[in-house]
Amino acid sequence: MRVVIAEDTVLLREGLAGLLEDAGHEVVGRAGDAETLLALVGEHAPDLAVVDVRMPPGFDDEGTRAAAEIRRSHPGTAVLVLSQHIETRHVVDLVAAGGGFGYLLKDRVLDVDDFLDAARRVSEGGSALDPQVVATLVARPDHALGELTPREREVLSLMAEGRTNGGIARQLWLTEKTIETHVRTILMKLGLPVSSDDHRRVLAVLTYLRASQG
Amino acid sequence: MSRSARPIAIVTAAVALAAVAVAAVVIAVAAGRDIPDAPSAWTGPLLILGVGAPACVGLVLVLRRPATRVAWILLAGALSVALVMAGSVVGNLALDEDPHSATGAWALVLATEWVVLFLWPLALAYVFPDGHLPSPRWRLPAAFALVSAAGAVLLLPLQPELEGPHGDVRSPLAGGADLDFLTPVFWACWFGLLLSLFGGALALRARYRTGSRERRRQILWLAYGALLPPLWLGGSSLARLIFGEFASPDLLVLMLVHAWLAVAVAVAVTRHGLYEIDRLFNRTLVYGVLTALLAGTYALVALLAGQLAGGSAFAASAGTLAAALAFRPLRDRLQTAVDRRFARRRVDAVRLLRDFLDDVRDGRSEPEDVGAALALALDDPRAEVVFRLPETGAYADRAGHVLDGLPEDGRARSTIGHDHREVGVLLHDPVLAQRPDVLRAVLDAAAVAVELGRLRVELRLQLAQVESSRTRIAQAGYEERRRLERDLHDGAQQRLVTLGIVLRRLQRSLPGEARILAPAFDAAVDEVAATIGDLRTIAAGLRPPRLDEGLTAALEDLARAAAVPVELEATGDRAPPDVEAVAYYIACEALTNAVKHGAPSRVTVQTTRTAEALRLVVADDGVGGAAPGAGSGLAGMADRVAAQGGSLALESPAGAGTRIAVELPCGS
Repeated sequence: MRVVIAEDTVLLREGLAGLLEDAGHEVVGRAGDAETLLALVGEHAPDLAVVDVRMPPGFDDEGTRAAAEIRRSHPGTAVLVLSQHIETRHVVDLVAAGGGFGYLLKDRVLDVDDFLDAARRVSEGGSALDPQVVATLVARPDHALGELTPREREVLSLMAEGRTNGGIARQLWLTEKTIETHVRTILMKLGLPVSSDDHRRVLAVLTYLRASQG
Repeated sequence: MSRSARPIAIVTAAVALAAVAVAAVVIAVAAGRDIPDAPSAWTGPLLILGVGAPACVGLVLVLRRPATRVAWILLAGALSVALVMAGSVVGNLALDEDPHSATGAWALVLATEWVVLFLWPLALAYVFPDGHLPSPRWRLPAAFALVSAAGAVLLLPLQPELEGPHGDVRSPLAGGADLDFLTPVFWACWFGLLLSLFGGALALRARYRTGSRERRRQILWLAYGALLPPLWLGGSSLARLIFGEFASPDLLVLMLVHAWLAVAVAVAVTRHGLYEIDRLFNRTLVYGVLTALLAGTYALVALLAGQLAGGSAFAASAGTLAAALAFRPLRDRLQTAVDRRFARRRVDAVRLLRDFLDDVRDGRSEPEDVGAALALALDDPRAEVVFRLPETGAYADRAGHVLDGLPEDGRARSTIGHDHREVGVLLHDPVLAQRPDVLRAVLDAAAVAVELGRLRVELRLQLAQVESSRTRIAQAGYEERRRLERDLHDGAQQRLVTLGIVLRRLQRSLPGEARILAPAFDAAVDEVAATIGDLRTIAAGLRPPRLDEGLTAALEDLARAAAVPVELEATGDRAPPDVEAVAYYIACEALTNAVKHGAPSRVTVQTTRTAEALRLVVADDGVGGAAPGAGSGLAGMADRVAAQGGSLALESPAGAGTRIAVELPCGS
């Protein structure tokens, strides 16, 4: 796939590009700030943009805002936002709004296979939400979530991260069939429609979690 | 001037009194004879009163303030009137004895100058009390009056026939010359003089209208007196035109008017502080009466003791002792009594200040309001006190605003001293400087309040400085935490991630035979990841990055991570970042305290936002009994809140949980 990277720290940017190229992807553009990123996306129409949250000039949330802009103006380009720390501002909304969006802590990159898997999922129109963000959503005191067994909660979290049944099964060392059962139970307990489409399932779960966040 | 002024004044007064005494004696002598038109016997005492009053008042004034023009007008007036009156009575008596007496004829020439009876009241009306005309506009009327008066004075003695006791006498001055043509000129001058007398009354009125309250009090009595001569003269001239007679009772009225005028000047001087000699007068009176009373006490006690004990030494000792014992209380009482009688203005003003000091002592007034008290006491609404700040020497107003120098708005300045140091300045109407005694007495009475006021103002200023510097320091601290947090995230953490990526890429590019190194690479990357996690924890401790998203987001994380169930009711309304940071740290600290000391089953954290403030309440259902200073971190919390200018309230009854309510102002 064709990728544009926006990251203001040069060494990190090159490292990320190297990782993606090692995996056989083509890095078509490298940006140091949001403005250049938007120009490059317009120019190359890549499959994926990997975007740092804090970038010049304000080092605030330029990356997130640029990501939202890309999702709006270039629906064909998926966005994977990388952050140094957890923030839920806009992020959950962006993930829940539609496919082709991911949000991960930067150090998830070190788990290279997971990272490449998330990048692939996102570029294919799926989603990837950092486990820690999911944890903040799931850990909320909530009556309905309280009815879930610990294992079901685990499965719910992985669903919210955007993983497929196969991915969840691998993560938990269970069979895909067992996972399917868990998923049905969870969706039933939460009163969500049962769907075989992974992506729509994630959206339903996230919408539910966001709504319960109040 | 002053050296020669006194003898001249004494001689003038003495001659005037002697002349009028002679006149009185002659009147008494003449009363025994049957002289036509002779003044009645009681004219003598009235003459002495009409001449003696201005002579005495003038003399006293010259002795105190030799340069006072009014005093010399009084003296000259007394002398001129005495001479004319003496000339009249002496001339009549001499001509009665010898119709051809040259002395009698010359005395009658002198007596023709009856117009002097009006001259000194006229002069007084124009220049009282400062010796100058009310304004330059009065120069022309004054010159007119001067010419008219001079004309009348010069022309009167030139009449050919003088009115003697037994028919007309030829004037020795005119020498038989026919001077009838001068008669219209005289009448013109006389009419001018009459007009000028009214002008004088108007001059006094003008001075009264434009003068301060004090000046009005000084003028009032004289103004009434000054109206009398022109009225009297107009009336009597009319009477003379109609009846052709110079009525004797008119002279008596005129003498009473003269006495009145002199008394009016005396009243202005003694009761209304003119020429500032009331203090001398005051002291003289106090010590005069005191001496008399002490002497009386001594005599009485000595007499009684002598009667009882018989020994003269004992009697003298007892008398001395009694007099000594009586001295202090007697003097104080006399002083108060005399002050009440003669220095009302000063006493009233000082009493107002004393009342104010009592109010300050009892907490009913603040010492900074001393300016208002002074304005009231001095009857000057523009009066204002500025406090001198001991540290900087600058001046500050009652609200504690430091002034850029004293205002230049035409107000006079009087320094207020306490303990030989300048503690403030009174800005006041310059006219108050005419009563330096009142001003000084009031300022002395106000000094303590001013000193108190300035210390309080300075304390407030310093407190404000300390508070603002504390807030700045606290804010600098928050800024520093934020900077450190950013540095950790954007610096060290980024580098570690980069390092990890480099390791991973190396690991994945290892040739087949080196795959044995893979676990070592995994271990190294795990270490890097753990370090990144540690750094994130440290950074979050410095300042949770979720504060960027708002206090509520940060509190949610806090609630989630807490060891007890936390119920969060947070407002979505944002507050300034520094205020939110303080609220977050307070919530952190309170939550930590609750878990550490209170053993609660649940904690509620509540934030509300008003237009001016952010309120935070952290309440638990633990054991309560928290007290500041017991290692509870409450003091630290209170410091943080105070640095932000907020307030912290703690309710922690034993056994009933702890509730900490914090209010942080959100002003710009």
